[in-house]
Amino acid sequence: MLILASAAARAQTTPTTLLYLNAKSINFYYDRFLLEADGNVRLRTSDGFTVTGDAFSMDLKLNRFLVAGHVTVHDASGTVSGAAISDFLDFKRIYFVPVTSVPDRWTFLNGDLVHPAKGRVMPDDAFYFPPITTKPDMTGTGAVVGTKSYVRFIGAVAYVGGVGIPLGSNVISFSSNQYLAQNSLSGATADITWQVAGSPNALTALHLRYDPTYKVYGSVEQHFVGDHEYAILSVNPATRAEKWWNAMLYEKLGSRFQIQSFTQYYAQQNYLQEPRAAQQTTWINATYAFPHSYVTATSQLVNYNVLGPGSLEEPKAIGGNLSHPSFAQITANSFQNKIANLPLYENIYEGYGFAHDTVGSQQYLNGFAQYPQYPPVQVPGLQSYGALCAYQPPTKGNLQYFCPTYTTIYNTVLGFNLFTPSLKLNHPDSPYQQYYFNASLNKQRQWNSLPHYIDNTNTTLTISRQPSRSLHMYAGYEIQNIGDHYINGGYEQCTGPGTTYCPDSFTSFRGVATLRTTSFGFNDVPSPDFNFSLLVRHHEDFPIPVPGLFAFPANNILGQPLYSWWLGQPPYDATADVRFKILPHTLADISRTLYWYGNPYRAQYWQQNFVIQLLPI
Amino acid sequence: MMRPSTTVFSLVLAVALVAADPSIVVTGQLLAYQDGFVFFTTGDGFRVAPGVVIRDAKTGAATKLSPAPRIWARATFDATGTVTELDLSRAALPPEGNFADVMRFAVAASSPAPNPDLLAYQNLATPAPGGGLPAGVSYSGKPVLVTFIVQVPPTTPLTSSVYISTDQSAWNAQAIPMDRIDALHYEITRRYPSGTIFNYLYDRGSLQSEEIAQNGLSRKPRKFVVPDADVRTVSDTVYAWQDQVPGSINQQQPQIMPTPYNPAPFPNLPPNLPPPQPPGNKPPI
Repeated sequence: MLILASAAARAQTTPTTLLYLNAKSINFYYDRFLLEADGNVRLRTSDGFTVTGDAFSMDLKLNRFLVAGHVTVHDASGTVSGAAISDFLDFKRIYFVPVTSVPDRWTFLNGDLVHPAKGRVMPDDAFYFPPITTKPDMTGTGAVVGTKSYVRFIGAVAYVGGVGIPLGSNVISFSSNQYLAQNSLSGATADITWQVAGSPNALTALHLRYDPTYKVYGSVEQHFVGDHEYAILSVNPATRAEKWWNAMLYEKLGSRFQIQSFTQYYAQQNYLQEPRAAQQTTWINATYAFPHSYVTATSQLVNYNVLGPGSLEEPKAIGGNLSHPSFAQITANSFQNKIANLPLYENIYEGYGFAHDTVGSQQYLNGFAQYPQYPPVQVPGLQSYGALCAYQPPTKGNLQYFCPTYTTIYNTVLGFNLFTPSLKLNHPDSPYQQYYFNASLNKQRQWNSLPHYIDNTNTTLTISRQPSRSLHMYAGYEIQNIGDHYINGGYEQCTGPGTTYCPDSFTSFRGVATLRTTSFGFNDVPSPDFNFSLLVRHHEDFPIPVPGLFAFPANNILGQPLYSWWLGQPPYDATADVRFKILPHTLADISRTLYWYGNPYRAQYWQQNFVIQLLPI
Repeated sequence: MMRPSTTVFSLVLAVALVAADPSIVVTGQLLAYQDGFVFFTTGDGFRVAPGVVIRDAKTGAATKLSPAPRIWARATFDATGTVTELDLSRAALPPEGNFADVMRFAVAASSPAPNPDLLAYQNLATPAPGGGLPAGVSYSGKPVLVTFIVQVPPTTPLTSSVYISTDQSAWNAQAIPMDRIDALHYEITRRYPSGTIFNYLYDRGSLQSEEIAQNGLSRKPRKFVVPDADVRTVSDTVYAWQDQVPGSINQQQPQIMPTPYNPAPFPNLPPNLPPPQPPGNKPPI
C-alpha cells in the first residue's frame, strides 16, 4: 500500500511553478481566488528569478501574477529595475516595464530572460489590478504558491464572520485534480477542516468533527494523488478509543483497466496501545473495458476478529466471531445500444458470484440487532439461515437461533435496461406547448443457490412539458415489482391477523411487493439566483403501509432517507425545495419533505429537519 | 493710456487663452510612481513635473496619500505631456478623459512592435465546449448564462438529486444542484463571466455516486470554456453512476436472509414473528 502511495505521489506530470512570496501583508480572497500582497514584496520563483517590489497581485485561477512599484528583477544574468512585471505563466510570457534612463516595454518569451522582445505591444490587461470590494478571508506573512494547484500560507489567520483564527500553516487547494477531493471519512454532522500541508500531489488535513455517535472528535486524512492514481489514508475518529483506519487506493493502468480498493480496519484501542478488539474489511474492484462492453470483478473480505479467538472485549473475553464473510462477483455489462431504427435503447448485464459465510457478525457478535437488551451469544456454526438450531440458549426466552445450513451461496444475475429517448408527442407551433414522453424498463433476476431467487422489475413512464422559459413540469408513473422467492420456506404468515402487528395485506405478504408511484414534479427557475421545485408523490403499495409497523431507512448526513423507496413508505409525500441567493457568491438551498398516510390512518409527519445547504455560485 | 477698444481686445484674448488651456485630465489606477515617472495600469509611463501638485481627489486639499500601486489618480497633463497634478484616492474614481489623448506622451525607449500573439487571435471564434483556451485569446468577462442539460441513465431513481461538481468549488459533490425536467433529464442555468474555464463532473450527491464513463472506468472531468456569447447550452450524457455498477462498494451485499428490502425490514415486529425460515425444522434442501 505504501509503495502505491509513494508511486502516486511521484506520478505528477503537469509542470508546476513554485512561487515563494513574502510581504508585509498578504491577503487571500476566496470568492475569486485572488492573492494580494503589499509592502516589501519579495517573490522567488522556481523558474529561476527573484522579484522585489511594492505590491503583488495574483489571480490563482488565471495563473498570472503582477509585481508593481520599484521593481527589481534578479536572475543569474543580473539585476534589472523597473516599474512593474507581469508573468502570464500559462502562456510563458513575461511583460516587464523596465526603467533605465527612461521607461520601456520588454516581453520575455518562453522563459528567456536574456533576450527580451523590446517594444512589443502587450495585452491591455497585462498590468491590471483586480478590483477588491470585500475583506480578506485569510491573511498571512508568507505564502507558497504551487501554480494551478495550491497555496500554502505561513502565519495564516482565517477570518470567519470577521473573527480571526490563527492557523499557522494552512493550505488551500484549487487543483483541477478531482482525486484531491476523494474522501475516506464517514459522514459527520459538522466538519471543520484544517489543511496543514500540501503540494500539487499531496494534502494533509486535520478534521474537527461532530456526529451524534462520537460527539466531538478529531480525524486525520492524507491524500497522495497523481494524474491516474490516488492513495488516501485516514484515521477517524483519531481521538476516540474506537478508531477506524481507512485506506482507499486507485490506479488506472493504460486506457482500459483500472483497479481500486478500500480497506477499513477497526480497532478499539486507547491512543496507539494494544487493541482490545479489531476488525478488518477489504473491498477490491477491477474493471476492464472492451470496445462495446466492460467486465468488472469485485470481492470483499471481512475479518470480524483480527486478534483471534478469546481476545474480544478484554478483560471479559467472549469467544468472538471467527467467521470471515466474503463475496466475489464478476459482471459483464454492455454499452447502451440503439435497437435497429427504433427510438429504443438497451443494455444488458450478467454476473456470477458467491457469498461465503456472510451472516456471522450479525448473529454471533451482536445478537439480534433489533434487540440490544440481549447480549451477544456464541452459537456454533456459520450460516444462520436454515432450520432451528439444536442448541438454544436456555435463558433467552422465545428468541430463536438458526443453525448453519449454507456457508456459501452462489448466485447468477441477469438483467437488462430498455429505454426511450425523449419522444415528441405533438407538433405545436410553440416549443412551450411541446409534450415529451419517456419510458424505461429494468428487469433483473438473481438466482441464489439457497435455493432462492430475487426478481426486480421497474417500469417508469413520464410526460413532461416546459410551459414557459422558466417552468418545467412532469408527471410520472412508476411500477416496481420485487419478488423475494424461496423455493422452500421463506416468508411465513404473520400471526394474529388483523392485529396491530399483522394488519390486512401483511397477512398475505410472502416476500413479493408491488409499489406503484404517481409523481408530479414542478420546477420554476425565473433566474439563476432563484429556484423553486416541488415533487408530490402518491404510492399504492403492497403490502399496505401501516404507521409504526415498518422501519424507515436511516437518513444520510443531510437528513434525507438513504433509499429512494422502501417497504412501508407512507402513501403520500411532498418535497419542496427553494434556492435563493444570499451573498454575491452563495446560494441557500432549503428543502423539507412532508409524509402522510391517507385513510384510515390519517397520520402525518415531517422529515426530521429542514435540509439547509449553502452552495457556491 | 489704453483705449477702450484695446481693453476689450485684451479681455477677449485672455478668455480665449483660458478656454484653449491645453491641459488634459485623465483618471486611472496607478501602477508605480518612481524615477520621475508615473505609471498607470495600462503600463504607460509619463513624466512628472518636478513640482507636481498632489491633492486629495475628493476634497482638493492636501493629502497624506502618496502615489503608489493600487492608488487611483486624476492626472493633469500640460501641453508638453508632463503630469503637473495628481489627485489621489483609494477608491476608484469615475472615468474622466481618455487615455487615447495622452498616449502620445507615454515615454518608451523602444518603438512599438506588433505582437503576433495578439494578432493571431483577433478574429478567433469562441471555442466549442470542451475546447481549451488558446494562448493569447482574451475574453470580455461579460456575464454569460450557461445552461447545462444532462441525460442520466434510466436507472436513476425519480427522487434522485443530481449535482455538478467542479474544480471551481474544490470538487464539492453538492456544489451545483440540478433540477429534474423529465425522467431522463436534469437542467441548471448559471451565470459565469466569459473566459471562465472549469472542469466538471456530474454526481448524485457524493463522490461515491459520481458519473463513470460508458466503458465502466472512472472518467476524466469534462472541460468547459465560457464563450463570449449571451447564452450557451451544454448538453451531456451520463451513462452510469459509480454506485449503481454491479459490485459497487455502496451496493447492498447479501445479508442475513438475503433480502432485497430494507436491511432491517421488520424491527418493530414482536419476537414471535421469526425471520424467514423453511417449514418445519428441516433445512430447505
